[in-house]
Amino acid sequence: MTRSWNTMEDFEAFLNDGGIVEVDDAMPEDYRKAVFTFIEMHANSELMGGLTERDWIPKTPGLRHKMSVLAKTQDEIGHGHLLYMVAADMGIKTRTEMLEDLFAGKSRFHNVFHYKAETWGDQVAIAFLVDAAALASQQAVFKNCSYGPYRRILKRIISEEGFHMRLGEDRMMRIANGTDLQRELFQGALDRWFWPSLQLFGPDSKPGDLLLRWHIKSERNEVLRDRWVQKFVPLLQSYGFSVPCPDLTQDEDGRWDVGPIDWEPLKATLAQGGPDSKRRIEQAARNWERTQWVRTAMDELAVPA
Amino acid sequence: MIYEVFLKKDGRDEYRHAGALEAANDELALVLARESYLRRAEGSRLWLARRDHIIEGGTDFVAPNADKPHRHHDGQAVAAHRKQVREDRS
Ligand SMILES: [Fe+2]
Ligand SMILES: [Fe+2]
Repeated sequence: MTRSWNTMEDFEAFLNDGGIVEVDDAMPEDYRKAVFTFIEMHANSELMGGLTERDWIPKTPGLRHKMSVLAKTQDEIGHGHLLYMVAADMGIKTRTEMLEDLFAGKSRFHNVFHYKAETWGDQVAIAFLVDAAALASQQAVFKNCSYGPYRRILKRIISEEGFHMRLGEDRMMRIANGTDLQRELFQGALDRWFWPSLQLFGPDSKPGDLLLRWHIKSERNEVLRDRWVQKFVPLLQSYGFSVPCPDLTQDEDGRWDVGPIDWEPLKATLAQGGPDSKRRIEQAARNWERTQWVRTAMDELAVPA
Repeated sequence: MIYEVFLKKDGRDEYRHAGALEAANDELALVLARESYLRRAEGSRLWLARRDHIIEGGTDFVAPNADKPHRHHDGQAVAAHRKQVREDRS
């Protein structure tokens, strides 16, 4: 069953009315492309995040944490699977095409996965700061998302990201209550991850932002970013850590200001020129090649209808 | 043949299982579904799936995932910390 709209005005009126677009609707091509690109980048980021997480399974201290890192890795790869399905259904690229573009460095994934996780402290900082920032962005999409299939999948993803963030904060708390060496380890990680996490929200939304106009995003980037700052600056301090902002100030109403933000590092990651972009992409591509035998075996197993 | 009936309202809701029906073929099944499940606009979209096409994972198959405590975190210690911070501030 296909719905269609004669003009972009009709379509936008439908969206402004709270209308939800389904996969088989004859949506305007610009909308289809914009939503697809957004979901593809989300899917790529889940996969790249899952691969980083996987690197830490053997290095994670203690069985308890190891089991939870395993669970988180599976969740992230699962998020990638769910999202690639939603994206492929839009009919622009197949799942294989999306993966090949990702491994060829032709498509984007979030800035935070262009950095190297140096220590276990980094893993904790990622689970807490990065997952919290990703969660906040996803919640803002979920709230009012006009593309039905994406919104329904986000519901599930969000509940699992909540688990990751709780895990991260719990680990951080253990470290905060630990030894000086542990606290130093985490402070170092925080110094490395605070800014990339904050930059995950992106620069201020432009006035004509189509994702806002078409009700994919429900909040402007700067609003989400500021909310994250107001929440995480005091929270990190409450655990005895210091926020790596030389220009940090607090006004009379208690609102935090992190000072000017340098967007160059974000731009570099978007051009695949982040500190660890090259290695990350190469590693993912090698992984894809090495697991070819699994896909071949699956194809051979498939019974013709 | 037996068909399982799924309905969806336009908007945010997903397709939901509404029940089943028996009909001689797909076309008759569609009519019967509309006239018995969609009498008062209970949905705006309809899916029918032949019951013998449905692949079921039974409770025994699904059960192992009920016993994976490492996939959960109650966040209690963290919630207590956050509460304390709020109280200290006010
Ligand atoms: Fe995820
Ligand atoms: Fe996550």
